[in-house]
Amino acid sequence: MSTNTATLPVGRYAYDQIDRTFLSQRVAQFREQVNRRIAGHLTEDEFKPLRLMNGLYLQLHAYMLRVAIPYGMLGADQMRALAHIARTYDRDYGHFTTRQNMQFNWIRLEDTPDILERLADVDMHAIQTSGNCIRNVTCDEFAGAAADELLDPRIHAEILRQWSTLHPEFAFLPRKFKIAISGSPQDRVAARFHDIGLVARPGPQGRPVFDVFVGGGLGRTPIIGVLLRDNLPEEDLVAYLEAIVRVYNAYGRRDNMYKARIKILVQALGVETFREKVDAEFALMNRADYRLEPDIVAGIRARFGIPALDAPADAADTLAAGRKADPAFDRWVRTNTHPHRHPGFTSVVISIKPDGGIPGDVTADQMDVIADLADGWSFGEIRVTHMQNVVLGHVRKDRLHELWRRLVAAGLGTPNIGLVGDIIACPGLDYCSLANARSIPIAQKLSARFASPELQERIGRLHINISGCINACGHHHAGHIGILGVDKRGEEFFQLTLGGSAGNDVAIGQIIGPALPEDETVDAIARLIDAYLVLRTEGEQFIDTYRRLGAASFKDAVYASA
Amino acid sequence: MDVRNNRRDLTGTSVITANRLLDGRIVWLTGTGWSETVSHARIIDNADVEATIKQIRATPDARRVIGIYGVQLDPTAAGVTPLTVRERIRAFGPSVHPEFAPVETSDVH
Ligand code: HEM
Ligand code: SF4
Repeated sequence: MSTNTATLPVGRYAYDQIDRTFLSQRVAQFREQVNRRIAGHLTEDEFKPLRLMNGLYLQLHAYMLRVAIPYGMLGADQMRALAHIARTYDRDYGHFTTRQNMQFNWIRLEDTPDILERLADVDMHAIQTSGNCIRNVTCDEFAGAAADELLDPRIHAEILRQWSTLHPEFAFLPRKFKIAISGSPQDRVAARFHDIGLVARPGPQGRPVFDVFVGGGLGRTPIIGVLLRDNLPEEDLVAYLEAIVRVYNAYGRRDNMYKARIKILVQALGVETFREKVDAEFALMNRADYRLEPDIVAGIRARFGIPALDAPADAADTLAAGRKADPAFDRWVRTNTHPHRHPGFTSVVISIKPDGGIPGDVTADQMDVIADLADGWSFGEIRVTHMQNVVLGHVRKDRLHELWRRLVAAGLGTPNIGLVGDIIACPGLDYCSLANARSIPIAQKLSARFASPELQERIGRLHINISGCINACGHHHAGHIGILGVDKRGEEFFQLTLGGSAGNDVAIGQIIGPALPEDETVDAIARLIDAYLVLRTEGEQFIDTYRRLGAASFKDAVYASA
Repeated sequence: MDVRNNRRDLTGTSVITANRLLDGRIVWLTGTGWSETVSHARIIDNADVEATIKQIRATPDARRVIGIYGVQLDPTAAGVTPLTVRERIRAFGPSVHPEFAPVETSDVH
């Protein structure tokens, strides 16, 4: 089918009639399955895998629907559809997760086919958001916009999405499988904490090459991924990944859920043996069947809408004048924008972490506001970040002040990106059936305590990550300060880890001592941060001070008797 | 089922819970059916919990719910209050959205 470039949605892949037919057939199929379950023709044991294939979990209070946002890219029309779902079928809320998905927590089984139909209307679905398959491929939230980007990772993320969706061989892997891809030298996707992490850059003749990390992950056994091979040519990308997943599928453990991830296999075999097996598989494959020829890649690229970046020559000056005139705006620009490749534009991070609020929660009205602002300021394009925030990728500098005023009016102007208030927290025991403790109230209390923007900027870059159990959905191992909920005879306790990082300086946080009772945790963290402010030297961030001094000085502050 | 849900003392009392099939909402076993309100729940000696669950599973009505299990009560609390944080959150709603707490109604389904 020919695509009319004038009408392509900016930043995301345009579906054609084949994609749409496929989705509507899947919805009809699920509607039939739901009917059979309600009529009693399917037992729960029979039905559960079917609903999970459509992203429908049973959580603590109700069914939860996880909607896929491929590599975090959304259009304004899609965001409005999510708002509509929140309003009509949920309690006016949605929740952005660390996997660039959206979750709805109060869904009725009966309504789910209608919801999936509504999603399909805007080219969205919930396929492969659950189950032991290749999940949503995640990518840099500043893809195609960042000044430091070497290569737009979305094209290859889309290729991998097409390769992995309903891949017949990989529908029942030993365990779930997560792939992240970055096209920037600054790792903004936690590449080394994924089953496969890809870092792309231009190679010979300008064709992309990839560094392939494998066997990283958090959860019960946190492991940093190893470099399996570098400079993988673009044409072999799909073949090589297929070889990796085949080896995992053949050798990964299926007898013990806790040892089933690829990270355990890589450790058990040793990197050398694992690499030999992948290379052997790769050598046996008919590579021609998998070869990514330049015209295939160009065909995918052609179905992404590209923003027409055009700004007045004095756009940056207008912004500078606005910042001078308005200190609150100036602060927000400092914390919540990211350098764009075009001098007249910037990328804006909308904090979904209001002071004392629930990280990642957005109301239906806020979703509509974000959609309107995306239409007005960023070509109708929205990105969801793995830090549970939202990005407008391409905002003209001279129009930034007005955008900020609109955000503030909608309660979306919190200037805290990368600071203490920008806490990542999983849903924890307030919603999640696997949780040991609540994550959200700790996040709320901490963010209320450090609400002062001046204090936050003085403290500097500090990532706090909270998980309600060892599954680590809040990436606590990767937090500068990690908080893990544990259960002691039905009561909530919290274990602290220090020194984790998900970036280029990747590290797993170290446990510093016994878990704290719920009512002492926030005070202990406040003492820890106070200790850092005393111990830091000029220009140091928390992670630098921690690396210079080690855990001991902080341990004293945490366990100091009140 | 999660072992956590079966943790129960030898003595003491429990209530029986499940999720409703059609909408996933939490329900509590009463004398005559299932209620969304924990205070309507029928209180059972821990010694009788397993037998009661077995009985319920055998009724046609059990098709309308999923994941039936017993929840130990806090003997020191006023009113019908589960012992663990997890079950208190199930009974009284997410602690971070008090407006989502189950509404006290008289109807029993
Ligand atoms: C809704 C309830 C959820 C359930 C039942 C659930 C379940 C799990 C489980 C069982 C694991 C451990 C898997 C393993 O390591 O083998 C896990 C890990 C993870 N989940 Fe969730 N999760 C839920 C919500 C979320 C949410 C809300 C997020 C994002 C905020 C998320 C993101 C992740 C991430 C990033 C990991 C770490 C995986 C890794 O790197 O090894 N999950 N989840
Ligand atoms: S870390 Fe545990 S509590 Fe939090 S969402 Fe994941 S499974 Fe649930």
